[in-house]
Amino acid sequence: MLLLLPLLALLSIPFCLAAPSAESAHEQLVKLAAANNGLIKLDDNLYNLLTHPNRNWSASIHLTALDPRRRCAPCKEFDPSFTAVAKAWSQVPKPQRDNHFFATADFDDTMATFQRLGLQSAPVVHIHLPVEGDRRPASGRTAPIVYDFSNGFDAGPLAEQLSVYTPVPIPYKAPIDWAKYGTAVGVGLIILSGIRVFLPILRSRWAWAAGTVITSLVMTSGFMFVRIRGMPQSGANGQWIAPGYQNQFGQEVQVVSFIYGLLSAAFLMLTLVTPYQTQPYRQRAQIYLWSGVILVMFSVLISLFRVKNRGYPFKLLL
Amino acid sequence: MPLAYSLPSDLSPATVTNTSSLLRIIALALISGAAIASRLFAVVNFESIIHEFDPWFNYRATKVLAEKGFYAFWNWFDHTAWYPLGRVVGGTIYPGLMATSGVIYNVLHALNLPVDIRNICVLLAPGFSALTAWSTYMFTKELKDESAGLLAAAFIGIAPGYISRSVAGSYDNEAIAIFLLMFTFYSWIKALKTGSAFFGTLTALFYFYMVAAWGGYAFITNMIPLHALTLILMGRFSSRLYVAYSSWYAIGTLASMQVPFVGFQPVRTSEHMAALGVFGLLQIVAFAELVRAHVSSRQFQSILFGSVIVIGVLGVLAFAGLTYKGWIAPWTGRFYSLWDTGYAKKYIPIIASVSEHQPTAWPSFFMDLQFLIFLFPAGVILCFRELRDEHVFVIIYAVVASYFAGVMVRLMLTLTPVVCVAAAVAFSSLLDTYIDPVEPEVSEVAVPVTGGDSSAASPATVDGAVSSKKAKKAAAAVADASSTGIASGIVAAIGGQSKSPKARGIFGLDTRFLIVVNALGMLLFFVLHCTYVTSSAYSSPSVVLASQNPDGSQHIIDDFREAYYWLRQNTPQDAVVMSWWDYGYQIAGMADRPTLVDNNTWNNTHIATVGKAMSSPEEVAYPILRKHDVDYVLIIFGGLIGYSGDDINKFLWMVRIAQGVWPDEIQEPNYFTPKGEYRIDDAASPTMKNSLMYKMSYYRFAELFGGSQAVDRVRGQQVPKTGPTLDYLDEAFTSENWIVRIYQVKKEDLLGRDLKTANAFANGKKRKKSKPLARRKALA
Repeated sequence: MLLLLPLLALLSIPFCLAAPSAESAHEQLVKLAAANNGLIKLDDNLYNLLTHPNRNWSASIHLTALDPRRRCAPCKEFDPSFTAVAKAWSQVPKPQRDNHFFATADFDDTMATFQRLGLQSAPVVHIHLPVEGDRRPASGRTAPIVYDFSNGFDAGPLAEQLSVYTPVPIPYKAPIDWAKYGTAVGVGLIILSGIRVFLPILRSRWAWAAGTVITSLVMTSGFMFVRIRGMPQSGANGQWIAPGYQNQFGQEVQVVSFIYGLLSAAFLMLTLVTPYQTQPYRQRAQIYLWSGVILVMFSVLISLFRVKNRGYPFKLLL
Repeated sequence: MPLAYSLPSDLSPATVTNTSSLLRIIALALISGAAIASRLFAVVNFESIIHEFDPWFNYRATKVLAEKGFYAFWNWFDHTAWYPLGRVVGGTIYPGLMATSGVIYNVLHALNLPVDIRNICVLLAPGFSALTAWSTYMFTKELKDESAGLLAAAFIGIAPGYISRSVAGSYDNEAIAIFLLMFTFYSWIKALKTGSAFFGTLTALFYFYMVAAWGGYAFITNMIPLHALTLILMGRFSSRLYVAYSSWYAIGTLASMQVPFVGFQPVRTSEHMAALGVFGLLQIVAFAELVRAHVSSRQFQSILFGSVIVIGVLGVLAFAGLTYKGWIAPWTGRFYSLWDTGYAKKYIPIIASVSEHQPTAWPSFFMDLQFLIFLFPAGVILCFRELRDEHVFVIIYAVVASYFAGVMVRLMLTLTPVVCVAAAVAFSSLLDTYIDPVEPEVSEVAVPVTGGDSSAASPATVDGAVSSKKAKKAAAAVADASSTGIASGIVAAIGGQSKSPKARGIFGLDTRFLIVVNALGMLLFFVLHCTYVTSSAYSSPSVVLASQNPDGSQHIIDDFREAYYWLRQNTPQDAVVMSWWDYGYQIAGMADRPTLVDNNTWNNTHIATVGKAMSSPEEVAYPILRKHDVDYVLIIFGGLIGYSGDDINKFLWMVRIAQGVWPDEIQEPNYFTPKGEYRIDDAASPTMKNSLMYKMSYYRFAELFGGSQAVDRVRGQQVPKTGPTLDYLDEAFTSENWIVRIYQVKKEDLLGRDLKTANAFANGKKRKKSKPLARRKALA
């Protein structure tokens, strides 16, 4: 196998030298693109044809490894997006469409190309700008532009960013998410039909109180941090406290909001509920109980905080 | 009625009121003193100096105001900022802060107290924190009573969440804004309670002051309408609400439009539309109420009800249509990024790059609010129990502010007041209950709680009576009994208002003592915590750094001022200095030199140009530098002493922002190693190694270590032995600890060679014969 690869590369050299003219290559590419929903399946020869040194067209080439043996999960995730964008491009009127091609090069078909490009990871999207013609970049750049995956694998940002290099913007529209709308309508209908059942809840002050308090508890335990940063529920090897002061895992939200909630509840019990207890010894037991809860939970909270902030000098029981 | 401890009975009521009001005044004075004093750590530990970045601009503007008068300040066009564009300062700032210090300065000078303007600027924030404590007292007093107010004032006086933005020297808009926020809310509550147009106007005036002082005024602009809308939905429309809201909105909006930076925004942008919409809705509802009072026919009322809804829907549609047509500007990016949190990172990287715009992890909440953070929900529940109009306000404020504080670290500032208020309500309710000496009657058989609940309560009573016999034997049984007791207690607490007061109270002295000692302990702990956090975390000016000598004494690292004064002393007055935007205000303030970009990030392209110059190779960067007349390039480098906020760590943001404008020239992945690591050692990617920023940072760095291996202390990586070379720049100055490095941009070669060739020639390197002769080419 290892020996074969250089051989393959060698074999492709004569082909490069005897490259067909740009026009014939263009015709061939147009045919191939039309045959497969605007997406050209590449092998090593076609790759060279598509990146013809005298090309007056541009191309987005998606280098991937879809074979299950390669175990490339991101490749599988990204492939439908690229295919969808390529399909959207095939709706463009012919004169513009033929100036930009979408192509997929699978690792197992184009090993030589992968080797020549020195690619070690997939998926990669290369954008080849035209070398000739009026769409030639002013900088005279011929090296491919590498698509930046920082916006994820979704088709929307892909189409948006590729549109910079295509003759006309790619008319990609995200498919309508029927399931989402359906669910929304369903939930709406259920609520509307059950309005008599829900109205007392809506009008109940304590339902709102519960909602308010839970919202603020969850928010003040860093829920938005976990959501925005996409933090995992817990770390590797089972640790659930993220090291570092400006960092946390998803599980910490639950633990911390539970502790806050318990402490809050203990204070409320002492303020609102115990005074109504009409028997002295029972009331005394409750007061001692809740004071103990406050002391212990506060200590737990501070010891948790000391884990996050090592320099913190104070501690209670723990 | 039995008492737990005896009270003096021979005091006249007048004595009690007088004494308590005297005590309140003393307590407030002491709280103000504590609030001011705890903010002075920065001055005691360092010196009376303006902190950080933005305050330097505010300070510079205030100096113009104090020296040249208000009109000169108002018409000030700053030629030295955003070179060569300049900046219209009067129209692009919130002038409230500078005007405030200007007034104080003039008053003091009129009294023949020649105080330096810098000291006024440094001490403005602590001074206003005392006022904040007072306005929080007033606000909380409206919610509960004076004792809760005093607690709230004490909490906000020393809570680190507010101190972080108001230490001495932190001369920023927030310094006065929180006082204005709290006072506006207080007068709003007062106006709503009394239905007084006077307090409504007061609300509007302080709202105007807030608009003139801080961009965060949009919070008030949306909080008050939200409160009004909620009250309407709760069926609590009243003429008091109508008067308060209408007077606030009409006067406040007209007043806010007088600030040039705001201008016509209150009628043209979506942020302000909620206020306008609720104003319209209030008129409709008020009209409907008026008609209903005069008409008795049932059918007519239902028609009226329908028409109110139809008009409301039409109004909303009209807003939507106007927005769609572009008459009303949609939400600005900064506002929008609060809802769609991924938005900023995608479209406005400058906003996303600021560290105070990051989401908040829970340790920050605890650090800033300590035990207040878990008293806060308890206070909110107590507000639900009362649920007067002002309590609704606190509840809405609590939900909204806790969401915003979770999304952005800097909005912790708006959460802090409501947390202090709610926690004070909870804490003072607890103390009220346990300090009150009245003991309830001991009952052998538990009294059924209320008439309505008797069926639910009687089984619990029987249960409790049975278990009370076994109570001494089994602790578990006690827990069981108390839990059934709790269940009935909760019922009592929730439906509590209609109860006779006798049934409520605490038995015994030990219980009171326990709770009070516990509470005092928590307060004491809070004070210790706040003092520790303030002195250790929030009092660093960040212009001057502190480290510790081996013997424990303080060692001051003063590289920034050293470098800025070097610029001031050794360069011509009009020498343009390029740096990353973070340092623009400091250079303008301390070195008094023109800068390309600064912390007023209004021109993304200009910032991206600097980013491109920093992240390109020398040959590409040089024409950019020359076209912008750059004479000096200033960078921050922490590799020698381990200062982590340096430019190499910020470098990726420069790349990202440049990439946003020149996507085909600058690409972020090129700055990583093939494995996707951000490295600066031998394995660094060639693009990284050739970038101007890398070269300037590590130029001659390895030589410092003699023969041994050079190590970057921030990144913890080994720096290549043969460092980068510079052809187009000259090292001009490097500060004592290498934090600031300044390079001079060379002029074009006199013989017309490109500087690389000239440099090679000067170093005595011969060109290889095989190469063609270098053409004489003019640089683009």
